Amino acid sequence: MATSESVVVVDGLWKQFGDVSAVEDLSFSVAQGQVCGLLGPNGAGKTTTLRVLMGLERPSRGNTRVFGHLVGPSAPVLARAGAMVEAAAFVPHLSGMRNLQLWWEAGGSRWRDADVDGALGVAGLGDAVHRKVRTYSQGMKQRLGFARLLLGRPELLVLDEPTNGLDPGEIREIRELIGRLTSGGATVLLSSHHLSEVEQVCTHLVVMNRGRLVRSGTVTEVIGSSGSVYVEVDEPARALDVLAHVPGVAGVQPQGDGLLVDLRNGRRSDVAAALVGAGLRLETIMATQRLEDAFLELLEEGNGDTRPARVAS
Amino acid sequence: MISLVRTEFVKAAVRMRSLVIAALLVGLPTLIVVAINARGRRVNNDNGEGLFRLAQQSGLLIPAAVLSAMSGFLLVVVAGTLAGDSVASDATWGNLRYVLMRPVPRGRLLVAKAIVAGVLIWTCTVLVALAALVAGIVLFGSHSVVVPALPGLSGGFVLGTATLLGRVAIATLYVAFGYTALLAIGTLFTTLTDTATAAVGATIGVYIVSEILDSISQLGTIRYGFPTHYMGAWQSMFTDNHYSSDMVVGIVVQLAYLVVFGTAAIIRFRTMDIRS
Repeated sequence: MATSESVVVVDGLWKQFGDVSAVEDLSFSVAQGQVCGLLGPNGAGKTTTLRVLMGLERPSRGNTRVFGHLVGPSAPVLARAGAMVEAAAFVPHLSGMRNLQLWWEAGGSRWRDADVDGALGVAGLGDAVHRKVRTYSQGMKQRLGFARLLLGRPELLVLDEPTNGLDPGEIREIRELIGRLTSGGATVLLSSHHLSEVEQVCTHLVVMNRGRLVRSGTVTEVIGSSGSVYVEVDEPARALDVLAHVPGVAGVQPQGDGLLVDLRNGRRSDVAAALVGAGLRLETIMATQRLEDAFLELLEEGNGDTRPARVAS
Repeated sequence: MISLVRTEFVKAAVRMRSLVIAALLVGLPTLIVVAINARGRRVNNDNGEGLFRLAQQSGLLIPAAVLSAMSGFLLVVVAGTLAGDSVASDATWGNLRYVLMRPVPRGRLLVAKAIVAGVLIWTCTVLVALAALVAGIVLFGSHSVVVPALPGLSGGFVLGTATLLGRVAIATLYVAFGYTALLAIGTLFTTLTDTATAAVGATIGVYIVSEILDSISQLGTIRYGFPTHYMGAWQSMFTDNHYSSDMVVGIVVQLAYLVVFGTAAIIRFRTMDIRS
């Protein structure tokens, strides 16, 4: 649900290319300070959604708002956002520094207001920033792209596959960078195929498939909304009997000191309620599946699910 | 707007291609003048035709002769490249989407790109004239020109040095302005594709087709609307000693193309999805 604190609001967004719908009735919101991961397989509509959000494409229906302002081509509110959509791209015959300066000044801003030192500190390109971009590796371009989106210290960062082309060390740097930025109050919306990265970096998730919203919420909610949970109680043997009668529980098996409950058709809260209701002392309950499992399960579910998707809270 | 023009100028001018074009536009006129001079010395009674024949009397007329040779194709290619490349090259690099993710009004950006392309086209034309003028004065001096009464020339008059210089300046400006339609067409085409070579090729192609159709007299008055029809109207200043009214009509035709194609380009650019 969009709130007054929502930095990004996507409301009933449709984007069609001829007869093909890239995005269908998509709604979600991202609140101040969240790191929201936009997940989905290829063709899910993630990049199209980000393009509309940054004013590059016009919606067929619906709208997007950033900081409460409607977004369209050249919307003034875009000055408060930094974005990297698809690969970082530059004018190849100019130096990295010249690219940053021209890009910044094209928006009518003064170069001295860009906080270029802070942005370059993040890029870590050293003297290479004065070399022509055509001599850069993909990783260097990506880092220069980060420097560009950080110019002027934007309040919202929109990142489309930000770690593409980076080595593991650089990916870790980017992860730490995102952490630093959000601790400074920035809001981040990022799409990625690297599910483990998303799981480590994001606080919230929006899962898309075939242009539609499949699920949204906190990472814990999305991961734990289906799959299995691990529980520890004071009387595991009795818990086995109790759980066997809980609707939606597909199976229970002992694991270590606790029980692994297959919740393919049920909810974690039902498990907790049943155990507590039976007088058992519930010591631990946690989702056991990783984001990858939940993601694939949600897509499978979404492929046959025609129910309206829930709006992010 | 000034900052946009400045940034676009740096992107367009500070690149190897621009330096190669500049070298070509200085070198080729110089080569033509040297060739005219060498040919005139070696072959008696072979002084060429039209402006080239007259130009051997004075280096001040050489720019007019060189412009008449280069304005129909080479400068068209250069102007078509500069106009057709302006948006499409940014799209090819993938840089266009980043510029437009800033709060940069699209119409203003396109106008800035067109202004830069226009300035560079004018600069190229002036460069050709200046290179020819310098080489011409060095090899042929700066004398008055006697236009004899010959077939194809009304003839029988003298063009003084001041007159020659003034008319060469007007001719240069007219030739440069003659690419306004091409600039407008190229600016529209450059918004229609993300491939710079396609936009450039289509822009130059329109001019080639225009020149071919313009040579077919059976097309009648339709030809008067072609962007290339009045491109040579300035030559009467030297061959017939008068300013042709066709020059005025030519300017009006160029402005009409600018309004129609420029407006279409802005509408297209403001409403298009940026997919590159």
